[in-house]
Amino acid sequence: MLLGFLLCYGGFTALCLSMDRHHGELLGRKPSARRRQGMRISGWLLLALSLWTAVSAAGWGLGLVQWFAVLMLSGLLLVLLLPYRPRLALSLAGVSLLASPVAAFAQY
Amino acid sequence: MKEGFRQAMAWLHTWAGLIFGWLLFAIFLTGTLAYFKDEISHWMQPEIPARSVTSEASLTLAQQYLQQHAAGASRWLIDLPDAREPGLSVRWQQTPAKRGERGQFTEKRLDPQTGAEVQGRETRGGDFFYRFHFQLQMPYPWGRWLSTIAAMVMFVALISGIITHKKIFKDFFTFRPRKGQRSWLDGHNAVGVLVLPFHLMITYSSLVIFMAMVMPASILASYKGDVRVFYDEVFPAANTPEPAGKPGQLAAMAPLLEQARQLWSGGGVGRLTVNNPGDANATVVLFRDGADRVVHDFGSALTFNGVTGQLLDTTAQQPLPMAISGAFYGLHMGHFAGPVLRWLYFICGLAGTAMIGTGLVIWLGKRQLKHVKSAVMPFELRLVEVLNIASMSGLLLAVAAFFWANRLLPVDMAGRADWEVNGFFIVWGLSVLHAMARRGRAAWVDQLALAALLFCAVPLLNAMTTPYHLAVTLAQGDWAMAGFELTCLGSGVFLAWAAWKMQRSAHVRSVTRTPRGQSIALERGAH
Repeated sequence: MLLGFLLCYGGFTALCLSMDRHHGELLGRKPSARRRQGMRISGWLLLALSLWTAVSAAGWGLGLVQWFAVLMLSGLLLVLLLPYRPRLALSLAGVSLLASPVAAFAQY
Repeated sequence: MKEGFRQAMAWLHTWAGLIFGWLLFAIFLTGTLAYFKDEISHWMQPEIPARSVTSEASLTLAQQYLQQHAAGASRWLIDLPDAREPGLSVRWQQTPAKRGERGQFTEKRLDPQTGAEVQGRETRGGDFFYRFHFQLQMPYPWGRWLSTIAAMVMFVALISGIITHKKIFKDFFTFRPRKGQRSWLDGHNAVGVLVLPFHLMITYSSLVIFMAMVMPASILASYKGDVRVFYDEVFPAANTPEPAGKPGQLAAMAPLLEQARQLWSGGGVGRLTVNNPGDANATVVLFRDGADRVVHDFGSALTFNGVTGQLLDTTAQQPLPMAISGAFYGLHMGHFAGPVLRWLYFICGLAGTAMIGTGLVIWLGKRQLKHVKSAVMPFELRLVEVLNIASMSGLLLAVAAFFWANRLLPVDMAGRADWEVNGFFIVWGLSVLHAMARRGRAAWVDQLALAALLFCAVPLLNAMTTPYHLAVTLAQGDWAMAGFELTCLGSGVFLAWAAWKMQRSAHVRSVTRTPRGQSIALERGAH
């Protein structure tokens, strides 16, 4: 479940950065069109990847439940961190993406 | 046309949410607590020790105890302990005096390690919250009906809320704190949208759980009005065999658990029934505990011959419609959830509670703005304010009072369990009176601060009234007990923060009165 959480959090952060307003607030400038596109695609890919890891680890029934749980909670965490600790929110995304291979190694 | 539709939905969302909001807040909060009902019961009966022993060892002890104390009974029922529910409970039914009558039941709780009887203090425990969240402390079936109607309204409010929310994707990650009413709306949208899968699942599944009560037409029509026939067909009664009249020696039951585990590919046994225990015709029925999978299997059981240990009967594979309703039941209850997932369920439940609470606050806040300058509020707004305070902070106080009553009432008091429940409702009632007596914000601050104090002091109270204080339970690794107290402490700190915020914003507001720009932004922001 940890791996799913890390990937979801990373994915949501990428999707968040693909929006002009949030990109501006977090990084201080508007994203280029290519960057926006890249963020959007990688965000959706990370979410899809987290679904795949959850289902492959726990089967469809429990896997889907776990995936929805980490999906909702990672989104909630990100949205609550953004206004109060924006830098922490971003660095957490970096850390979670860096840590996800380790979590993947532990899972498989 | 489209805007007209959206406005109609906004109207529906506003009023359905208001009328049922208070009730739904209570249903959601107590339902959320019910995810930890075993842990709450454990804290409320600290005399029953938590042990980690195998099911086999517990079952052997239970069998020894029953053979000594209830050899002549017609039926034994054994509830095996699991990781969350530490008690081993045995019940037996006396042979009825006449055929066809129900024999009397006796219940005892055993220490799963020593097999000695343990006497826990009389309490409803976490079961009180579980029962309250769908029966609302009303006589059968009114509470179930009211909570089902509330669930339907919740479903309507969810759907109309989604339609009303214009910028569901654009504002997906938006939460702007410290902006007054704007922040409440952001928060309401954020917990609503981000946790939407949970809200939809929990609301829809609650309707599925009570579907036979709400929409009995198909059953009544197919079975000519006799609902009993339907249930007999769906749940083939574990046919109790006639006693042979010859004494028989019941074989050790513990090895049957391993057999069940193999037949159920890992699924564990939660409960056993032994029919005619001392007879040559004894049967042992093993019921699955359902903790190993999401789809709940109603009444999945294995029947063995008690003397020879031969497998007599297995329940058939679940048919698809039943598997679907079992899936919704399982998802709603979350019996399968391990500690991490259970916490996630709990947080989702809190998010749902917060969504309802913020919605109620927004309804009032929007209308209060028009009356900022006048000294008195119109009656209907004052009524909503009082109900908001009592249904939210008052309920939190009542929950705290329930826990305090458990420790403060004498252990051997008569009618103790009922008085704990009475304490809950008395404090809730007092909170209404208090909210009526004090001005809005002052009442919020008082009640939140008192609730914070009560929750923070729960570990202290426990340390003073029982020998099982936090240091002991942590050292023993009794995480259910320690976790309960740490969670109380955490909730207390959060409530103290909320009270402080409320106090400060009241102060700021009295200094600067609502600035005009903010109220304009608000009119725009609230759809």
